[in-house]
This record gives sequence, structure tokens and C-alpha cells, in this order.
Amino acid sequence: MKTRILGLVALAAVIGAAINGLFLVPPDLNQGDAQRIMYVHVASAWLAYASFGVTALAGIGYLVSRDLRFDAVALAGAEVGVMFTAFAIWGGMMWGRPVWGVYWQWEDPRLTTTALLLALYVGYLLLRRLTDDPSRRAARAAVVGLIAAVDIPIVHFSVIWWRGLHQGPTIGDPSKLLHPSAPLLFVMALLAMLGAFTLVWTYLMIRRYQLARMEWRLEDAARRDRVSAARRAASASAPLRAAQPEEPAR
Amino acid sequence: MNDLRRGLSVALAIARKDGISELRGRQAAGSTIFFAALVLLLFGFALGPDSRRLAEAAPGLLWLAIVFGGLLTVARLHQLEADDGALEQLALYPVDRRAIYAGKALAGAAAMMVLGGLLLPVVAILYAIPIGAAWLPLLVAVALGAIGFAAVGTAYAGLTVRMRAREVMLPLLLLPIVAPLLLAAVKATTAALGGDPLGELGSWLQLLLAFDVIMLIVGAGTYGFLLEE
Amino acid sequence: MMDAGFVIAAYGVILAGIALYAALLVRRLRIAREALLRNNPVDEVR
Repeated sequence: MKTRILGLVALAAVIGAAINGLFLVPPDLNQGDAQRIMYVHVASAWLAYASFGVTALAGIGYLVSRDLRFDAVALAGAEVGVMFTAFAIWGGMMWGRPVWGVYWQWEDPRLTTTALLLALYVGYLLLRRLTDDPSRRAARAAVVGLIAAVDIPIVHFSVIWWRGLHQGPTIGDPSKLLHPSAPLLFVMALLAMLGAFTLVWTYLMIRRYQLARMEWRLEDAARRDRVSAARRAASASAPLRAAQPEEPAR
Repeated sequence: MNDLRRGLSVALAIARKDGISELRGRQAAGSTIFFAALVLLLFGFALGPDSRRLAEAAPGLLWLAIVFGGLLTVARLHQLEADDGALEQLALYPVDRRAIYAGKALAGAAAMMVLGGLLLPVVAILYAIPIGAAWLPLLVAVALGAIGFAAVGTAYAGLTVRMRAREVMLPLLLLPIVAPLLLAAVKATTAALGGDPLGELGSWLQLLLAFDVIMLIVGAGTYGFLLEE
Repeated sequence: MMDAGFVIAAYGVILAGIALYAALLVRRLRIAREALLRNNPVDEVR
């Protein structure tokens, strides 16, 4: 019930922040209306990285405690996270085309790091899908989640160094928004979107966690049924075999 | 202190065992080296015949070949034991998991250093790259890259060796992780070959070293959980 | 402005994606809840 209320509040917040970002906030002097994309792009990226952190930490929690509830949290983080990562990349591309003239820039550390983040998440989810045993799945996922999380800062720094002496994009560095000199209205719009997305994220995480727990209970029940059915079949045929006369040796 | 010494001797024993298997040739180590050289040849067909373009691309192509060879190497070092059921035995030994990891990673790193070292002359010839005085920083880059790749690769190989679709899962999981390694190694190689005009060689080697240390720590810490399946 | 298309594409896909995912989750939750209740009529499902 409380979650449902959260969901409705989140919905209202998103609608409000979107209306603000799309219509109420003025366009940027340099980037024009494309600036509006930044609000959803940055908010998505923020939550993508946060989700990743949750997955990694929950994985550690599982390895330490062997409590599968941690694994459910990790799974929720990964699935919700891969969605926000895809959004972040999409937003980045939609922003890049009008502002840079291209959909993709290798020198932008955020874009390339986020693309790698997507690859890492997808790998994580595939790994989970290919492992059936719950505790094995949780352990493998935890290791991968941890290694990937450790890798991300390394990727970020190495791409920044990679850019090195190249001039960054001249107009429209996405991080301009976070600069202390950014116009207040823009910062407020970003914070509003960030807040709304965080509410959405929380709602989705809770629901995905609940779903994981329920589906696992169903999985366990199905597995137990299969095992007992197999046992019954085995013991049912045994007395029959015993009753059959031995074949006379020739 | 005693534990450390025991751990070290276990690690060395495992590394030696793997090393001997590699050298005996039953492990197809030679085939991997040949495969990597073949990849370099094929790149020539894909990107040539303009020799200037190939020369510019050479560092990247070298490291791609090392990475592809590395994938086969780390997988191989776990595969034989998995096939024989020896991994379960290994998991039962009352020995520090980190020592087992260290031994396997050491073997993997050594194998990849050999691979990289042998590919250097191949690259020099195929892409007309004069190596000359740069051989020392190049070997350092190869060594650091090999250690880093083996550090994560050993952990992921242990993870995927008993999985369905393991042939695709290992590269799928490992390649995004080694992206910064690849980046740094290529940059270091380029800098070394060009006489390091911007003085960036040191920074890139340091990044490689940081990657190595971090991944060795994480790999050692998590390997035990993978064995205990 | 020319950029309007990109802005709409950005917001549209992202917001629709969130809505779709949420709807999918709610639907799967309902199915799971019903399945659990069928298996264990006495159990309280959380």
C-alpha cells in the first residue's frame, strides 16, 4: 500500500519535472532547446551509477551473509540500472546530435564509460540467466558485480587521460550544468528531475525486489515438486521390477 | 608468517604444474600463439595494404591479438582441470583460496608474457615497425598488461568454466573489464615506439600497474567464492 | 526549433520506457501473487 502511494507520488513528480524541463525552463543561450535533454540524461546517468553501486554492495552482502535477499536486491539494481543506463546513453546521443553534430564522441568520458557500463550490466544479467542454481547464481553474480564496479572508476579516469591533449567539445560540455556558475533555473530543473527520478527508482527497486522474492519462491516450489515427482516415479517402478522373474541365464 | 610461506609454496606449485602442462604442448599453448600471429596477419588483410595506416594501427592490433590469445589462455588453464574433475578436488584442499588463485594467475601471466614477447617481432615485421631502443619499455608494457589480464581473466575463467555457453560468456564478461587495460597498454606502446614525445609513457604504465594491483586484490578476494560451488 | 525532434525523442523514449517497465513489473507481480496463492492458499503473500 505504501509502495503504491510512492508510485503515485513518483508519477506526479516525474510529470511535474518533465513539464518544468520541457516548457517552463528557458532554453540555453548556446545549446538552445537541446539543453532540456540534459535534465533527463544526467538524472538517468546518476541513477544508473547508483544502481550499479547498489548491485555491487548487495553482492558483497550476499558473499558475507549468504542471505539470498541481498541477491534479490542485487538483481533489482542490475535490471533497473540497465534500463537507466540505456536511457542515459539514449539521452546522450539525442543531445549530442544537435549540439556536437554527431551521435557519438569517443572523447566524452561520460558517454564511453556509460556505454561500457551497459556492456557490464548486460553481461551480469546474462550470467544470471545462464545459471540455474540460486546460490551459485548469487555467488557468481556477486563476484561479477564487484569486479565490474571496481572497474568503472578505472575506465572513467583512463578515458579522461585518453582525451589528453585533444580539445574537449567546444560548446556543450555536459558537465557545465554542474558548474557553480550554471544558471540557477537550470540547476533547479536538474535537481527536480533528479528528485523525481530517484522516487521512480525507489519504487521500481522495491517492486523488482518483491517480484524476485516471489518468483524465487515459485521456482523453489517447482523444483521441490519435480524432485518429489521423480522420487515417486522411481519408487513406483521398483516393486514392479522386483516382481518380474529373473531371466534364466543361458 | 607460516601461512604466508605455505600459501606461497602452494601458489608456486600450482603455477609450476600449469607451466609444465603448457610446455608439454598437450595444452595447445603453441596453437594459441600461432592463432594470435594469424590474427595479426588477418588484420593486415583487413586494414592494409597502406603501410602507413598499418603502422599507425600497429599498437592497437598487437594488443587485440594479445587479448584474443589471452582469452584462450586463461580459459585453457581452467579447462583441463574442469574436464578431469580436478577442480572439485582442488576446492576440497584445506589451503588458502588466494594461493590457488595466485598460482593460476601467475601461470596465466607468464603464458601471456611469452605470447606478447613473441608477437613483438611479428608486429615489427608485418607492420614495419622499428622497435630498436623501445624494446625495454615495450616489454614492461607487455608484462604489466599480461599481469592485469591474467588477474581478472583467471577469476572469470574460474567463474565460467562450468557454465553453459562458457565460450561466449568468458569474452562477454571479460572484454568490457579489460577495456581500460587495452587503452592504457596501447597508449603506452604507442608512446614507447614513438620515443615518448609527450612524456606520457610513465603515466600509462602507472595506470597499468594500478589496474594490476586492484584486480589482483579483488581477484584473490573473490576466487574462493567461485571454487566453492 | 530544429532540435525539438531530439528533445521529444529523448523525453518520449525515457518516460515511456519507465512507464512500460513499471507496468510490466506490476503485471508480473500480479501473476506471481496469484500463482503463490494457488499453491499455498493459507500463506500470506508479501
